[in-house]
Amino acid sequence: MSTASLAASNQDAAVRMDRLFLGLALGSTAILIALVLLDHQPLSAMLILGGFGLGIAFLKAEFSYTASWRRFLTRGEAGGLLGGLIVIAICALAVVPVAALMPKFGGAIAPIGPSLVVGAFVFGIGMQLANGCGSGTLYTVGGGSGRMLITLLFFVIGSVFGSLLLPALLSLGGADPVLASDYLGPWGGLAATLVSIAMAAALIIAVARSRDANFVPSRNYMIGGVIIGLLCVVVFAAGGHPWSVTFGYTVWGAKAATALGFDLSHSAFWQWPGPKRALVESVLSDTSSLTDFGMLFGAMAAAAASKPFAMAAWPPAKSLLAAGIGGLLMGCGARLGFGCNIGAFVGGVASGSLHGWIWFLAALPGCLIGIRLRPLFGLSRE
Amino acid sequence: MRTIYIIVVLLGVASILVDHLSSPSSGRALSPEDFAGACAPCGAPCPSTQKK
Repeated sequence: MSTASLAASNQDAAVRMDRLFLGLALGSTAILIALVLLDHQPLSAMLILGGFGLGIAFLKAEFSYTASWRRFLTRGEAGGLLGGLIVIAICALAVVPVAALMPKFGGAIAPIGPSLVVGAFVFGIGMQLANGCGSGTLYTVGGGSGRMLITLLFFVIGSVFGSLLLPALLSLGGADPVLASDYLGPWGGLAATLVSIAMAAALIIAVARSRDANFVPSRNYMIGGVIIGLLCVVVFAAGGHPWSVTFGYTVWGAKAATALGFDLSHSAFWQWPGPKRALVESVLSDTSSLTDFGMLFGAMAAAAASKPFAMAAWPPAKSLLAAGIGGLLMGCGARLGFGCNIGAFVGGVASGSLHGWIWFLAALPGCLIGIRLRPLFGLSRE
Repeated sequence: MRTIYIIVVLLGVASILVDHLSSPSSGRALSPEDFAGACAPCGAPCPSTQKK
């Protein structure tokens, strides 16, 4: 490349770069990191940076659980689903043994019962209407989608409603968490977890083959899956438990509701020790909020570094309505189902917890319904 | 849309700042499941505990 063409290329990149939003993203991240470092919390800074990396990785790889699951259900294409399993397998290599062997670490566990199944099913409907899941909402909002801003707003509102409903659904009964390492030890639990992932992959490939559909993950999903999996391990190392997204939304919503004069302190959910503490303490004391903030600003920085930010026009009202309803359903579903596709599915399976697979199996039929509802809002089924 | 984004980001960061400076902060960021007895990432108790 000649000097002149190199200079022209650099100038072109500089023109495409959105300095205002790149500055906002980097400045905001720096402020958050400074705040937690002033509190002597280097691990919290690591969580923000881990989230920042996840935001970049998801945006650049265009790693979408929602679209992958939709392509699998409508066309049998399995590449995206398998890309998601790469993330889980890499994460499991660290989470299962470390959570079993080291006292300050734990896996993502959850009781098995009506709440889990109903929550995952409702979440599945919501993710197809919103066109984004827990992680997808974060990186697309960060990437400049105004439509997903609406989804995030209603996701937050829905998760507060979910927090009020969860104790009632839990009272319907259920079983304690089933963790592979509890029965088979750390290494046996890891082996069982990897075998379960391999079996799921084989089943997914068989379905794709039976429908003459592609099952090879794209280069983006292969590389993105490996990078996201490694970043999940970083978040696990810093936070002491697998990456989760939606508890942060619940805390933001509850704090906003409290600021508006609503008293949540009497509801059963907000009297449990963890949520009670999260409501009172700084939002920067909550691990999932820290990675959420990092992911939002990471995606924003990546988007603004490559092109003018948030230049698209607002979508039609029907699409915005779907975004809002989808967000509301996902928020409520995530609380009832003990997390989203990240906290419950990725985190659960990567921990060797049975609830992760049950969440996945309950979310898929919800996705099918969501896909059928999409045309009502002017969205394609594909 | 850009204007809305600028407002949202500035309001968001300002809210985090106000919340952080006006709330207590413990030594380490915790997830609710770090608390004894929690059976889920949101801090829900185990069904076996609830029956007691």
